[in-house]
Parts: sequence; structure tokens; C-alpha cells
Amino acid sequence: MLNDVAFGQYYPVKSFVHKMDPRVKILALVAYIVALFLAKTFYGLAACFIALALMTLFSRVPVLRVLKSVKAVFFILIFTAVLNLFFHSGRAENLLWHWKFLKIYREGIIFTVFFTLRLFFLVMGSTVLTLSTTPVDLCSGIESLLKPLTLIKIPVHALALVMSIALRFIPTLIEETNRIIAAQKARGADFESGNIFKRIHAIVPILIPLLISAFRRADELADAMDARCYAYAKKRTRYKKLTFGWRDAIGVLLFAALITGVVLFNVYGARILPQYYEYLVLR
Amino acid sequence: MSESSNAAATCEAQTADAQNVIEFSDVVFSYQDAPSPALSHVTLSVKRGEFLSVIGHNGSGKSTLARLICGLLDADAGKITVLGMDASDDKLKKEIRRHAGIVFQNPDNQMVASIVEDDAAFGPENIGLSREEIGERISWALAAVGMTEYRKSDPSRLSGGQKQRIAVAGVLAIKPEILILDESTAMLDPRGRREVMDVVTKLNKEEGMTVILITHFMDEALRADRAVVLNRGEKVLEGPPEKIFESGELLETFNLSLPKITKIARELEKAGMKIGDVLQPAEIAEKIAANFEERGISRAESSPYVPEKTESAHDWDVDIRDLNYVYSKKSPFATQALKGVTLHIDEGEFFGIIGHTGSGKSTLIQHLNALIKLPQAGKHFRKPRQKKGKPAPVLPSVTIGKYNLADKKTDFKALRADVGMVFQYPEYQLFAETVADDVAFGLKNFRKNLSKEQIETAVKESISMVGLDYEEVKDKSPFDLSGGQKRRVAIAGVIVTKPHILVLDEPAAGLDPRGKWEIMELLHKIHREWCKTVIIVSHDMDEIASNCTLAAALSEGRVWACDRPAAIFARADELKALGLDVPLTVKIAEELKSHNIFVHSDCTAEDFCKKCIEAYGGDSNA
Repeated sequence: MLNDVAFGQYYPVKSFVHKMDPRVKILALVAYIVALFLAKTFYGLAACFIALALMTLFSRVPVLRVLKSVKAVFFILIFTAVLNLFFHSGRAENLLWHWKFLKIYREGIIFTVFFTLRLFFLVMGSTVLTLSTTPVDLCSGIESLLKPLTLIKIPVHALALVMSIALRFIPTLIEETNRIIAAQKARGADFESGNIFKRIHAIVPILIPLLISAFRRADELADAMDARCYAYAKKRTRYKKLTFGWRDAIGVLLFAALITGVVLFNVYGARILPQYYEYLVLR
Repeated sequence: MSESSNAAATCEAQTADAQNVIEFSDVVFSYQDAPSPALSHVTLSVKRGEFLSVIGHNGSGKSTLARLICGLLDADAGKITVLGMDASDDKLKKEIRRHAGIVFQNPDNQMVASIVEDDAAFGPENIGLSREEIGERISWALAAVGMTEYRKSDPSRLSGGQKQRIAVAGVLAIKPEILILDESTAMLDPRGRREVMDVVTKLNKEEGMTVILITHFMDEALRADRAVVLNRGEKVLEGPPEKIFESGELLETFNLSLPKITKIARELEKAGMKIGDVLQPAEIAEKIAANFEERGISRAESSPYVPEKTESAHDWDVDIRDLNYVYSKKSPFATQALKGVTLHIDEGEFFGIIGHTGSGKSTLIQHLNALIKLPQAGKHFRKPRQKKGKPAPVLPSVTIGKYNLADKKTDFKALRADVGMVFQYPEYQLFAETVADDVAFGLKNFRKNLSKEQIETAVKESISMVGLDYEEVKDKSPFDLSGGQKRRVAIAGVIVTKPHILVLDEPAAGLDPRGKWEIMELLHKIHREWCKTVIIVSHDMDEIASNCTLAAALSEGRVWACDRPAAIFARADELKALGLDVPLTVKIAEELKSHNIFVHSDCTAEDFCKKCIEAYGGDSNA
């Protein structure tokens, strides 16, 4: 089960979103997050929701998996929601309930709902990206996007290679960890009982062989890389090329439209349904 | 090496023509803090297009030799030239590495990317080739190793042999003239080993690539044009492999062994047959048949094979029924490792489990000491309900002696003390500061109330049992020991509780011939004196044939057969269809059948030769 970590949450199906250029997907996620934070109206939030729904639909990932991703941030969500609810100030005439220093305003309720939805959408949007993109693709996407930084002498390629090797070795090291755990368990090691100090102590028989093995692997890998001409390489070329296709063009258009829409709603949103203005637009 | 042969070798190097791609003259190399040099005064030359094998025991300096060629290490004295370039010159190293590629032992530790084609691209990218050129080279290299269809795969999901072929492709993509394999087959199963060796032989024969094969598998060395034997850093023998193997006993003093086929040939020659140099089972069968013909024997049959009957108690029988196991359940990567395994192992057996990688062997043995628990013993087990019109769901059961592994209340810790488990490469689980502490680890975990003296006595016994000197090693760090010693310490750490059943996964993997033999002897000793039942998992069919009393062959998560090894190997054709190997004796016996010679042996080399000579009408002691 642990062996699949290198694939992260990747959900292997063929879909529109899966086939998109990882760079576009990363930028789209950034645009989506920007839109979420720019949005000051529930109209804008609705637009973001439509974008999220489209992404989920066209990536063919199970909706339940996307919804479940919120579980990870559930407690933070509840915590901030409670704080917002009790401490968000508002106009005096909108005070609905108070007890000692705790006050609930109508603005507080609206803001809490808005804030919670925003966080929900944010987590779910990122999940769609990780479900539809392998870490390897993400990695090369990030590398390509960071390329301009080479101009200011940041070794982007070396960093990308580090990421690539890390991804490559995650399954290997996890397998190794599982094997060492099994071997020490077979020798009666107990990792599940005792107090915290006992448990930390119990990790030593796993940690030491694992570290030794990691260093041994690093040594061998360094030799193997040198033998493949890495050591004296001055000008490296790159085989992998990301290609921008029609799907990506559609993606770019969609997210450009999203940001524009959100901004327009911010400016003109109040005029759409003036009678519910106070409920739909944040100040 | 004597002075005269040294001088002769130097002379030979001087007169060699420009066809020599690699030349070592009087090379010395020592590692820091090592008491003796890893290579001392080695003189050697390799011709263009040659297939050279370098053989030697673990620690003989053969890997050092490979690293010196590529400039990964620099010689202390002497001179190394590769394609006319001085290997110690830093400016030339890049150029040398473009022309001399090296594939290492562990395929996992050579790959930089999680996609096959990205990994193959690494070398060409470093040289600075254009995208198109890299693409072509990847296609060519993957085709050369027969892995074209895996271009977009994740190497971590491939088998060992496939991974190593990818590593070979990664080196080939640089288009080297010289390909060095530094024990590249040592960690593979027989199928993987054959895959890699076939690729390498093809590259040598068809592409004219110079190949240097570093190995301790004698059977692989036979494929080479020329072999060099290293012993403790010195070149002790050189010549065509057949000639080297003529030196028989001498090889054993170098901790090496003869190839199995040569051993059989020599044994038969003792009885007066004329065999000579043979490489293939078919060849030796033909030679044997010719000998029979010479004596005018047109049809011969040995006495039948009668298995020995052993009777023993049944207090520690292993009984497995309907065992299923699925990895990564409910994920897209779910794989069913075991499909209804039913197996009974009587107390007292030396039991072998065979099967290729992925057949479920490791999963099966992990059930034996509840590292993988049965579903019924899990925390959240609910009995599956019987659906209408369908048979009642069958639950797996495993019992080992008095332990019922399907029962939640079983004392699993006590079980683990009674069923010892030694994993593959057990030396990688050593962790304590001293050997004595490491061996005591399991004992202290299992038996909480032992006094210091009791622990010391048990540790001492255990270390002596595995053939090490307690006083000498007890205070040493386990990491300062040699490979073979580490493995012994790791085994001592498991048998210290004196388990009734000892399970070992590939106990001899990665060891040189002598090391393998010693470990198997050790297991027999443990079987005789300490553990009632020994269960080994092995890829090596000859190991199973010559050591086990009973064996089970696993295929695709099912028990394909469970019988005496001789009976299993009698179904040679079916085994081959499953992708499993058969012992060499079986291959020869199969070939002999077509010559009307029927040899019924227990599949060990000794018994085969005895039966063969018996049919020949000769005396094996003659």
C-alpha cells in the first residue's frame, strides 16, 4: 500500500485534464487560487465552483475522492470557522447574539460561510491537480516554469534533478523501510506499545539500517551518475519537452475568463441583485 | 604472482598491437585504512571486440578494477590507458566515460528518473546531444535490450531483470565502445540473469562491443572469449575459460568453484568417459552418448530413484489452507499475491520454496510468523455473510504447531520466537554498536526475564553456531565485518531464540560460490542441531535439488506442485513453461533420453554422476 506514495494521489485514467501540459495545470491552479482570494462576492465564488466542477468532470476522477480531500484540513477549517464566527465584527444593528465577550454578527456568519467555502474549493482544486498529474510531470512542470531563474544563477536544473531522484527513490526506500520493519518485528521488536520514549527508542533499529542503506545507495548512485558522464558535464541538454496543445489553450482561456469574471463580479456584483446586496457581497 | 610471469605479462603488453582498448600495466590500488591493497601489480590488456570475464571471490578486487577503468578511482601506482587515453588524467575522464560505460550491481541504485525513457536520456543529456539525437538513441538502446514497450513505464514496477536491462540501456545510450558489467547479475533471479546475459552476448557478437564481465558466476564466465581470475588483488590466472577451468582444485583455493557442467564432466571422466570441454547440456549429453556407443551400449537405464523415507514427530507441522492475499486492496494497483494456497510441511523437513519473482513466495512466508496476519486475526474482522445460492465463504487457516494463526488471542510474539525468519540480505538489518548487542536484540525482546549471564551464554552459543569466534567478534561493530560474516551475524540474531522452525528468504543471495556453499552447510548444521524444520526460498534450482527434502513450486500465487525435488524437476517441460529453471542434471538427463539413456537421479550432481556411471557399467571409484 505504501508503495504507491511516489504516485501520490495520482489516479490513472485517460482524460482531458490528464493530457494537459503540467505547466498549464500548475498555472491554472495558481490562477484559480488567485481568483478565490480576489473574489469578494458569492457570484465570484460560484464562478470558481463552476471552474472546479468542470475540472473535476473533465479529469474523470471520482468526485468522492475530491470531496474526501477536505478531510485533511477539516480541523483547521472548523477551528478558523469558529474563530471567524465569534470574533468577526460587524455593524451594531446586525448583532444577533452575545455572551460575555463572544458576539455573533450577521456579517460574521456571512464571512464564515464565505471563508469556509473558499478553503473547501482551494483544497479540492489542488486535489484535482494531484489526482490528474503524476509527481514526475509536476516536477518537470515546475522545472520548466522556474527556468527563468537560471538567469539569476539559480541552478534550476540541479534542483529539478534532486526532485526527480527523490521521487525515484521514494518507492525504493519505502520498500526498504517495510522490509526492515518486518525483519525487526520478526526479531520481536514492538513498535506499537509503551510510552512515547519507549516508542522513540524502538525506532532506532529501523532508523540506523535505513540511514546506512540510504548512504550506501547515495554512494552507488553518485558513481553510476558519474559513470554516465554527469561529473564533467558542462552544457547539459534536455530530452523532455513539454508541449502546449489545444487542450491547454482551452484551459488558459477558461482560467483567464475565471479571473476576469471574478474581478467583474467584484466591481459590478452589487448591482445584480441590489435587494440582497448585503448578503451576496462582502465588504 | 611470480617475477617471471610478471615480466612475461609486461612483455606481452608491450608487443600488443594498437587493437588493445584497455591496458593496465603494473597497477596498484589501496583503499584508505585497508590493511592490504585491493589490487596489486595487475597487468592486463583487453582487445577491441573481445568478451573478457573477470572472476574472483567477494573482495578479490574485481570491482575496483572496473572503477579504475572509468576513472571513478585513481591508481596509486602503475598506468591505465583506455583507448590510448590516460585514465588518471582528469581532463580525459569525461572522454573515457563516453567510451567505456559501466553497469553496476544494484539496478535500483543506478536510476535517476521515474520514467524509463527519462532515465535512458540522462547520459546523452550530460554529453549535450540534441533532442532528436537523444530520442533516437533511446529508441536504439531500448530496442537493443528488448525493452521498447516499457519506454513510458515506471522502473520501480519492473522486475529485477527488466530494471537491470534498463540500466544497461542507460549506458548504451551513450554509445560506448566498451561495456563493463560490474556483477550486474548478482542480485537477479535466474530468469533476469539470463535476460541480461543474452543482451550482453548479443551486443558483443552483433555490435562488436568490447565487453568486460565481472562476475562470480562461473557459468556466465563460460560465455567469454577469455577469463582473468583475481585472488586477493592479484591476477592469478588468465586464458580461455575452458582452460582456466581445467585448473580445477586450484580454483577452489581462490574461493571459486568450477562451473557445474565442468564438475560433472570431470566426475564422469574419472570413470573413464571422454568428455573434454563442454558448455551446453546438449553437448555433454552427446559426449556421454558417444561414450556409451563406444562400449556398444545402445540403450541404458540406471536403477530407479528411491526416495528416503523419514519419520518424525508432528508437533511442529505447518499447515496452510486456502490462503489468499491481495496487495494494495481497493487501489488501482491491487494485485493478488496469493490465490488459495494450501500447503502442509511436516516437522523435520528441509523444505524448499521455488518460484520466480512475483509468484507470492515472500508473501507466503510472511504469513508463517504473522508479519502478515490472517484477516480473522485482524482488529476489525467481520465474518463475511453467506449470500443466497452461493457456497459459504471459505476462510483461510494457518496453524503452526500449537499456534492457530486465525485466532486473535494467539500469542503472536511467542510465535515469532518459535518461527525464526531471516529475510533476503539480512545483513541490512544490523544496527547495534556491537555484534553481541545485535545478536541479543531478539532475545531481549522475546524473553524479558533473562539474567545478563543467561543472555551472554545464549548469544555466545548462537555466534559459535554460525561458525564465528565469539571472543573475536563480540565487541566489533557489525559494520566492520566482511559480507559473509555479516550475514552469519544476522542469522545468529534470529536463531538466538532457538526457534523450532527457521524460514530463510534467499539465504545465499549475492555470495560467491564458496560463500554460498558455506551458508548451505551452516543451514544443514542448524537443521541437525537446533531447528526442527528449515524452510528456504530460493531461485537456485540446484540449491533446492541438492539441499531440500521436499519442495513446493509456486506460480502466480498458487502452489503448482509440492513434492520431492526430484519429482518436481521430472516435470521439466512444464516448469520451463512457467518460466522456472531446472537443475543442470535434469537438463542433461532430458537430453540423454533422446539417446536412449535413462538416468534416474535425485537431481544432485553427485547422484547423477553415480547413476550415469552405473548405467555405463563403470565403477565410480575407478
